[in-house]
Amino acid sequence: MSDYPISGYHGRVLVADLSRGEVRTEPLDPDTALAYLGGRGLATRLLYDAIDPACDPLGPDNAFVIAASPLIGSNAPTAGRGHMVFKSPLTGVIGTSNSGGTWGAAFKSSGYDAVVVKGAAASPVMIDIAPDRAEILPAGPLWGKTTHETTDALAGASEPGRPARVLCIGPAGENLVRFAAVANDRNRVYGRCGPGAVWGSKKLKAIRVRGKERIAVADEEKYRSGLDQALYLMKQAPVTKRLMRDLGTAGLVELINLIAMLPHKNFQDCSHRDEDVERVSGETLAKTLLEKAGSCYLCPIGCQRHTRVAGRQGGEERGEGPEYETMVLMGPLCGIYDMAAITRANYRANELGLDTMSYGGTLACAMELAERGLIGREEAPGLDLVFGGADALEALVGMTARREGLGADLAEGAFRLAAGRGRPECAMTVKKLEIPAYDPRASYTQALGYMTSPSGACHLRGGYAVSLAFFGGAREIPRFSLLQSPIAIRNMQNTGILQDSLGVCRFTGYAFSADPWARMVSGVTGRDLSVAKLEEVENRVAALERLFNVEAGATAEDDALPDRFAEVPIIVEGKERRVTREDQERMKQDYYRVRGWDAAGRPTADLVRSLGIAGRRA
Amino acid sequence: MMIQVKFFAYFRELFEGRDRELGLGDGSNVGDALARLCDTAARRREIFAGEELKPHLVVMVNGVPAQSLRGLATPLADGDTLAVFPMMGGG
Repeated sequence: MSDYPISGYHGRVLVADLSRGEVRTEPLDPDTALAYLGGRGLATRLLYDAIDPACDPLGPDNAFVIAASPLIGSNAPTAGRGHMVFKSPLTGVIGTSNSGGTWGAAFKSSGYDAVVVKGAAASPVMIDIAPDRAEILPAGPLWGKTTHETTDALAGASEPGRPARVLCIGPAGENLVRFAAVANDRNRVYGRCGPGAVWGSKKLKAIRVRGKERIAVADEEKYRSGLDQALYLMKQAPVTKRLMRDLGTAGLVELINLIAMLPHKNFQDCSHRDEDVERVSGETLAKTLLEKAGSCYLCPIGCQRHTRVAGRQGGEERGEGPEYETMVLMGPLCGIYDMAAITRANYRANELGLDTMSYGGTLACAMELAERGLIGREEAPGLDLVFGGADALEALVGMTARREGLGADLAEGAFRLAAGRGRPECAMTVKKLEIPAYDPRASYTQALGYMTSPSGACHLRGGYAVSLAFFGGAREIPRFSLLQSPIAIRNMQNTGILQDSLGVCRFTGYAFSADPWARMVSGVTGRDLSVAKLEEVENRVAALERLFNVEAGATAEDDALPDRFAEVPIIVEGKERRVTREDQERMKQDYYRVRGWDAAGRPTADLVRSLGIAGRRA
Repeated sequence: MMIQVKFFAYFRELFEGRDRELGLGDGSNVGDALARLCDTAARRREIFAGEELKPHLVVMVNGVPAQSLRGLATPLADGDTLAVFPMMGGG
């Protein structure tokens, strides 16, 4: 344990300069730690200080930061998640991605609060982190290997009590696929915004961590009061107690269809046959492919799906997934209801290291372009590139990871694919990030969330509006309220910032909100981190993300949905629903006001001052 | 009237089926339908807390949550679909 003035932190940031082949340790300023907490907050601050947001995201001047939090190292439920922040090669704005598993806890035990990686190596390298030394090692023999091969090769450094945990990229990241992911513990991922391509551009193959460094809890009684309440509430709430374990997130498929929000054919509509939806439901997954549930570090919820499926040419394959987003975006969004095909394609995506969400969104866009005659049959020989084409789904994962044939176009993401064919309106993206598996015409609140998420269309950073409108409880709001959506989505976004900055899971939010966290983090640190103080942190991080994006060139015009959602209605509860430009503009302006930003969506000087956001530090 | 009832998640085990048709008298409401379905103590326990619906339930009439209609007093008509879920969440 360290002598750092704030309990829960080691007070050390590892900085790796891959151009120079050097690593060094920098102290973590205690005021910065308390102002930004950890995880997403701290990583955003460190990134903001490390790079020019206008840099080339695939060049050596980009950096990425991964941060732990003061709760990691305690036994707070789910406290083991890591958060990675970088400039995104897919969107050109801030890339902010979160992942579970055990790497975050292992990283914290290696004696650091955060790692900053800048520059680019001339040939493949890895970073090896242990408490007594951190070094950059050559990784030539690993280059070209899948995420599974790489992780298994490097896990051999494990010792009793000090398991070695690995983050790595696969061929997709090496080939700079714009939505390449960073794999974590084999089948967890830092999925969105293309961190794998950033690593690939730096010739960084893997980061391995191990250690035994612990943290102290400054005020045991306060910590325990928060912990006990959290654990009790998690046992009461059906979602966290049982449903996630039974069905995984795929249990959502039937419900989302029932409320007319399940995307179909590149968001052309939300109309499915009930018998088709059943084929990709969580119930069917549990009955046919599920071997067992699984959990991340210190998690009682158990939503992981460990599955097996028949191979295409006989035999059996094993892996993890599909979860809800993968099931729908690589399924009904592409007109596909073949769970076995979706599952095999999911396994490929995990092994090759690319984001299943962006892959599905890009493929659906390609299918629509093909049906309109803008992608010729000769570009995908032997594949039926039409909605429902399950063969194309499976074959194109590998081709995309290797940038082969049509895969080279898909590797650019839906926006660049569609724009390259003269049809940008066929890309269902916001800020070039492919839209998640909830149709925004079925919820104005979710629409606003996609528009204003800092990373592009995202339900995890933009706010998850689905549970609000449908279930009882204090946070319920009607789905089509222009008036209430701005405050509601701001609150959902802030809750996400808190969870991401504490290294804990979104799903705890189905059982409890900020109060137990405030007590746990105040208990660990010995500082007064009340719910109100935490709200300040949330607003500070949101403003800093926005400042980054403004400097990266984003404007208020980018906070908008594709034309399809404004012009083409879907039927919800018997009525036609779309999100008109006027309604988008009105919600957006109200949201800016609620955030304290000006009419152009920029944090005002007064806000920056009152939140204590310092200018960039060299 | 005849309505369609659909069950999801562990309610399929509880009610022993994915869906069924239910015959109800004219003027029946959601509460009447659920009371008919909950013909054992175990089923009643999962759905009702006294006379009210348990809080962590999703009950929908033709895709609309019952609580944004008239709750248990929501009237039903011939051909309606009643869906019963434990509350789900996801990502």
